[in-house]
Amino acid sequence: MNMFLHELKVNRKSTIIWTLSLVAIAVLFLSIFPTIEREGEEFKKVLASYPEGVLKAVGVQIDSITSFLGFYSYVFLYIMLCGAIQGMNLGMGVLSKEIIGKTAEFLLTKPVARKEILTSKALVVVTSLLITNIVFMGAAALMANIVAKESIDYQVFFMISATNFFVQLMFASFGFLLSVLVSRIKSVLPLSLSTVFAFFILYMFGSVIGEKAVRYLTPFKYFDLAYIIRHSGYEAQYIIIGSIFIVATVAVSFIVFTKKDIHTV
Amino acid sequence: MNIVLRELMSSRKSLIWWSVGLLAMITGGMSKYGGMQSSGQSANDLFAAMPKSLQAIFGVSTLDISTALGYYGLIFSYLLLMAAIYAVMLGANSIAKEERDKTSEFLMAKPVSRSRIITSKLAAAIILLFLFNLITFLLSAMMVNYYDSGAEITSKIAALVGGMFLLQLIFLAIGTSIAAVSKRPKLATSIATGILLLTYILSIAVELSSKLENLKYIIPFKYFEAKYILAGDGFDAVFVILSVVIVVVLINATYILYQKRDLNI
Repeated sequence: MNMFLHELKVNRKSTIIWTLSLVAIAVLFLSIFPTIEREGEEFKKVLASYPEGVLKAVGVQIDSITSFLGFYSYVFLYIMLCGAIQGMNLGMGVLSKEIIGKTAEFLLTKPVARKEILTSKALVVVTSLLITNIVFMGAAALMANIVAKESIDYQVFFMISATNFFVQLMFASFGFLLSVLVSRIKSVLPLSLSTVFAFFILYMFGSVIGEKAVRYLTPFKYFDLAYIIRHSGYEAQYIIIGSIFIVATVAVSFIVFTKKDIHTV
Repeated sequence: MNIVLRELMSSRKSLIWWSVGLLAMITGGMSKYGGMQSSGQSANDLFAAMPKSLQAIFGVSTLDISTALGYYGLIFSYLLLMAAIYAVMLGANSIAKEERDKTSEFLMAKPVSRSRIITSKLAAAIILLFLFNLITFLLSAMMVNYYDSGAEITSKIAALVGGMFLLQLIFLAIGTSIAAVSKRPKLATSIATGILLLTYILSIAVELSSKLENLKYIIPFKYFEAKYILAGDGFDAVFVILSVVIVVVLINATYILYQKRDLNI
């Protein structure tokens, strides 16, 4: 409990900064929405001069992307990108900072098992991410209320927003595993940033070329937001695979860390 | 000279990893072009009539992706993002790492002035960036020429990569100046990457809203966009001058601020 509280306190500032940044991004993007809605309306008038087939096909698409939830799910990707960096940084930093800061010796000589240390550290990661997401969702819902003219399906809105938490957990557990496996991490940010951006570019590029296999590779693609809007539900297989991934990486981290030689000064 | 060599040696491994990333991105991306060449999805007049913001959401642009060069332009926007991440971390790290790894005391006790140290570090960083661009150019020219040959192609790619080099210089200077002023080495990398993320998010927001158009002057990602360079417009003189000014000012700031700062030993 001491470790948990101490760690939470250490992470307080960065959690606040990340939360505020995510809220700021949401506010920035959602404030653009009224313009998009208007431009969509105007473009539909232009479309009226086209043949009916085109009108139907494109018109439906225009309607769906210029609806509030459609637009939200488009910009949500960039919120997820920042969220993923937060998650990976947190997951990777929480353990490796003891080694980098040479405090591992102090911590490991305390009368607590390594398992307890890991458990409290992992719980801190989950708690920090949870706080971030709860605050973010509240702020985003408020902003949504301001910009959207029509009433929003809040259930779907929160379902979309909650995917951020899941993706963050995946990146955090991956970072957790890396921090245990990689023997000498000098600084966390370059490693976590390149990993997240690698997956992000894979996602962006995968959707441009329409690659199916990419869906299983990059966490950004685990949730098809259009599917969530249509069915008000998640795709079960991705949730299962994602959960297995999280459980497996955390389990391996526990096994490796309890046996690992920790180099002190 | 010794410091330059030492810097180059220590960054060797990361450059190799980034080159692997470039190789995967360029060859992987262009090989997809081979597959879709036949379907010929060029933007028709319908998409051309669409407002810019909707084009961005639809994922269509003025690039003609039915030609190899146009398709490369699509990949290039992701290469720019990679290049910027590499440059900003290189800049921030090369200065901040001495204090982070507690080697600054050793370095400063040597009979070299601080400005000499910065000059050497900058020289090493510019050599690394040059190599990064050379690798990008060679891989790109090879891959694009493989699908579609022509004298135009190589010179166009050279222009694109030239723009990328300028973009990298801007981000390098951002990184070094922040590291020069920041008293806490860990904070320097965080702030530098924060700026990178902010400009990237803003570059997306500018695509979505014409009201934000004027923000493009503070977003380096908007300076050298593939769609303008490939359309034959070449570099916009305003942006070239702006980049040079930014780089000169920030590099000067690096020298001045680093010489006056108390180092964290």
